[in-house]
Amino acid sequence: MTEAYLRPDTLDEALAVLADGETRIAAGCTDLFAATARKILPGRTLDISRIPTLRGILHDDSGLTIGATTTWTDIATAELPPACRGLQLAAREVGGPQIQNRGTIAGNLCNASPAADGVPPLLTLDAQVVLRTKDGERSLPLDQFLTGPRRTAREAGEIVVAIRVPAEALEGAGHFLKLGARRHLVISIAMVAVRVSLVEGIVQQAAVAVGACGPVAVRLTQLEKALVGQPLDPHLVTDDLVAQALSPIDDVRADAPYRAHASAELVRRALAQVTA
Amino acid sequence: MDVTLSINGTDHRLDLDPRVTVLDALRHHLGLTGTKKGCDHGQCGACTVLLNGRRVNSCLTLAVMHDGDEITTIESLGSPDALNPLQDAFVRNDGFQCGYCTPGQIMSATAMLQEAEDGWPSYISRSLETDPDLTDEEIAERMSGNLCRCSAYPRIRQAIAEVRDARGMAAE
Repeated sequence: MTEAYLRPDTLDEALAVLADGETRIAAGCTDLFAATARKILPGRTLDISRIPTLRGILHDDSGLTIGATTTWTDIATAELPPACRGLQLAAREVGGPQIQNRGTIAGNLCNASPAADGVPPLLTLDAQVVLRTKDGERSLPLDQFLTGPRRTAREAGEIVVAIRVPAEALEGAGHFLKLGARRHLVISIAMVAVRVSLVEGIVQQAAVAVGACGPVAVRLTQLEKALVGQPLDPHLVTDDLVAQALSPIDDVRADAPYRAHASAELVRRALAQVTA
Repeated sequence: MDVTLSINGTDHRLDLDPRVTVLDALRHHLGLTGTKKGCDHGQCGACTVLLNGRRVNSCLTLAVMHDGDEITTIESLGSPDALNPLQDAFVRNDGFQCGYCTPGQIMSATAMLQEAEDGWPSYISRSLETDPDLTDEEIAERMSGNLCRCSAYPRIRQAIAEVRDARGMAAE
């Protein structure tokens, strides 16, 4: 095939195209041009935005399935459990409204920016990334899918078809906070997602993730252990407990110590607001 | 490749390179220069158009992706003799200095008012579940995808608030 642009109506056709040779996948295109260093898009483009089965959110007993080309606006306006509130808040802070109407959740993950807004909330939801080739399907935990800045475990021939959140991770309530020079249209200095479930005031599950403070966003497992089994108290979050999990860089937006301190403060604020 | 774009209710058959954006198709191939090119990578909002009624950055999407979609540009809103309510409010409130971002601001505001009427929450809406009040603060938040280098923001917000009030939308 030599066409520069292909727009199949079904996933099977798309997978056949992808198996046929090097191809760039396009959906919302909000990162595609920005991530292309050359003046024009080189090579072949596979547009998956018109494949109906890839878009939408399904909530059933097994959990939540978010189709790959589900947009940020789709997520923000959906009726989802309180555990997904962090993801829904993040959806309202990605870029600006024009970006949210086009940008897709799988695009955010495949673009693999260290400051991807979708990643911290999905980490707190124990999200799995579902990948398909023309021969089969596999599923990877999000932290294994993201292998570095702008790098993922997706292989040529694979399409991310959905993000799955298991039912156990839909317990409790979530929250999301991010810090940037302004709220929209900037790359974040730090971002934090939390999810907490309480029984009679005691923390049963605690999930805390920080983004933009290392090559990929991370869960803060030591901090989570310190929170479980206690009454929810943001003061248990020390700067040290947060900083030890992070590897922030110095750049034009902020220096590393500031990022670490700001992250700890964002975690405290998110925990203070999560059950409010 | 051949593509049919429906723009402001009229079908346009074009033979386009697949790498041409909607913005370049409008400006360079159809002579519709009301939609402006600011940053050309999705940061400024000057190129905002409506795609099936929803606002998008036309610089960030390929024309060939939109065969069959309905695209609405500033050219369809009013004419110099008969401005639409937002255009009229921007003029009377001085909602600009140089005017370059204005078509994008007005297209964005057009969609934003619709989003608020449809009950879409913003980041600062108190609840994701109940219909938001379109306060002045909410207008500013919801217009955050459009930059104005002249910084006419207070007047832009004022112009949009006037149209909100004329439409009887809740501001509390």
